[in-house]
Amino acid sequence: MKGKKWVPWAFLALPLTMYSIWVIYPVGRTLFLSFTNWDGVSRTMRFVGLENFKELFNDPYFITSLVNNFKWLIGFALICVPAGLGVALLLDQKFRGNKVYKTLIYLPMTLSFVVIGQIWSWILEPRSGALNSFLALFGIKGISWLSDPSIVTYSLIMAASWRQISYAMVLYLAGLKGVPQELVEAATVDGAGSWKRFWNVVLPMLRPATVVAVTVSIIDSLRAFDIVYVLTRGGPFYSSSVMANYMYIKAFNNYRMGYGSSIATIQFLITLGFIVFYMRNVLKREAERE
Amino acid sequence: MRKIILAMLLVSMALVAMGAQKLVINSYMSDPEPKRVFDELVGQFRELYPDYDVTVNTFSHEDFKVLLRTWLTASNPPDVVTWFAGERMRYFASRDLLEPIGDIFENGFEADFPKAFASASSYGDKIYFVPQSWYWWGVYYRKSTFEKLGISVPVTWKQFLDVCETLKSNGIIPITIGTKYLWTAAGVFDYFNMRVNGIEYALKLTNGEIPYTDEGMKNVFAYWRQLVDKKYFLDNATSYTWQEAANFLFTGEAAMYLMGQFIKDVAPESVKEDLDFFRFPVIDGNIGLYEDTPIDGFMMPANARNKEAGKTFLKFIASTEAQAYFASELGRLAANKHVPAPDAHAQKGLDMILASDGVMQFYDRDTDPEMANAGMNGFVEFMTFPNRIETILRNLEAERNRIYK
Repeated sequence: MKGKKWVPWAFLALPLTMYSIWVIYPVGRTLFLSFTNWDGVSRTMRFVGLENFKELFNDPYFITSLVNNFKWLIGFALICVPAGLGVALLLDQKFRGNKVYKTLIYLPMTLSFVVIGQIWSWILEPRSGALNSFLALFGIKGISWLSDPSIVTYSLIMAASWRQISYAMVLYLAGLKGVPQELVEAATVDGAGSWKRFWNVVLPMLRPATVVAVTVSIIDSLRAFDIVYVLTRGGPFYSSSVMANYMYIKAFNNYRMGYGSSIATIQFLITLGFIVFYMRNVLKREAERE
Repeated sequence: MRKIILAMLLVSMALVAMGAQKLVINSYMSDPEPKRVFDELVGQFRELYPDYDVTVNTFSHEDFKVLLRTWLTASNPPDVVTWFAGERMRYFASRDLLEPIGDIFENGFEADFPKAFASASSYGDKIYFVPQSWYWWGVYYRKSTFEKLGISVPVTWKQFLDVCETLKSNGIIPITIGTKYLWTAAGVFDYFNMRVNGIEYALKLTNGEIPYTDEGMKNVFAYWRQLVDKKYFLDNATSYTWQEAANFLFTGEAAMYLMGQFIKDVAPESVKEDLDFFRFPVIDGNIGLYEDTPIDGFMMPANARNKEAGKTFLKFIASTEAQAYFASELGRLAANKHVPAPDAHAQKGLDMILASDGVMQFYDRDTDPEMANAGMNGFVEFMTFPNRIETILRNLEAERNRIYK
């Protein structure tokens, strides 16, 4: 198609403009603010260089938030993704009611995180919540899901996993449909047991789905905010805080927009690192295929 | 003929529409009772001033505190907002985000409002805040529980400890508290601080003049610790909002709650009559009796579009009739000094305050917001891990140095 080089640009103009206004500009401004001490309210601000970042890395609550994000990452990538795969494998077989199960497990994906948070705050209620009442049937004393600082983050990850597993399941169900049956049958004919069939034939064919599932899970874990904010606000005393939550409290509750911006910048850079890694891997594979 | 009538109708409608001044009010009164009463008050205002097109936006109480900042810095903020007196208001006034509204008091602020409220409503020599109601804090308790166990209302600290022990040994939670939203713990801190160190000390602390590692502070936590160590507080307090914790008081599972008068807003009808309060016990007989009396009211953003309409509303809210209505419906005390206490319960609260030697706003209403947040998180951490108090105070002191330098 010769000439008319401006045609693609014409099509891209509108999305690029919107992207610039609502994504690029705010990111740039946040980066700028992280070098100031703006309180989000006054009309003036002072440039403070790297002071916010220096304070950040000496701030025990920020370190806690960072560590918690890492726990979320492990939870999402190493537990939710395999669990989603397991559920998808189970539901991929033909049996009565299999569509009903798929719908039920898919349900959390239709709910907003705030609603999920509200539901789980009732489930995890220490005295009369569903979980502790259930455990009481087995004689297990009530666990302080949300007020024990040593387990609160795990409780939050549990609540968020409810949805993350269903997300992974959907990805894998779609991926399994793309596994050619002839390959699996050929393996059976060759005498491969069901585990060998899975590990050597099915799983490698699911690689694209796995890459997407793991990457999105990592990014979601770094972004975690809604569940934390609705259930505990990062409490008790910041023990369940994650970067997004801590950033919000610092910027909007404590009137330290500059400091909050520096937290957002760090979060952005970490996420960017993972995305770059993903893009290079995926694009490399796409290029190799061509 | 028809066309002429239609034209006249349209023109008069247009005139009315042009004449109708808009007024936008943002309120944090999200609990059902205050919301109802405020809606009724606005209804009364609409009848008095039919030319005004009034919109009331209600926000959840906790979220409002975060949203206010964005409204005050926007170019089209609401004309009137609810808020708190004291440092919370001065934070914005000092940044030129509020409109001085002293001119709505025709005969001056002190003609209708107590002198003691003037400083909490001003910044510099200008008034930015219209007080509407205030309330006292006390130890609310279930009369029936106390009667059943033969407990009499404690006055001294030793008596209070005995009451807690009696309750606990009878399987009742002595003190309920919900610290998910931190400020309830600040109330407990305020009372220990005022009883152990007095009001001058407390005010200096909120001003950032006293180190958190001071001996006086350590004494505060030594007394508080007596309650924490004996597990007199509700378990898992950090899981509950203050209303959820109050439920334990209403079901009878708990017996006492250090809380403001507004606890009655959420009490079921059947329990309201069984609720009474007593003054927080005396710890040091040489120190005066000081109480927390937070003041709620209204203020106007500096960028408000309809200042005239807003001031008319503020004048209405400051009037004796409006203040009396709000107070009597909710059992609060009106800021307007011409309004008598609405019922016996409020009279008791008023008497307790009038018999006190001084009053404070509240830890998080008198301290710099960031320091307040750090402090309150420290209090909640102390309640869970009392052994950490030394580290907590050291960290708070580091925060104080950073913020107040």
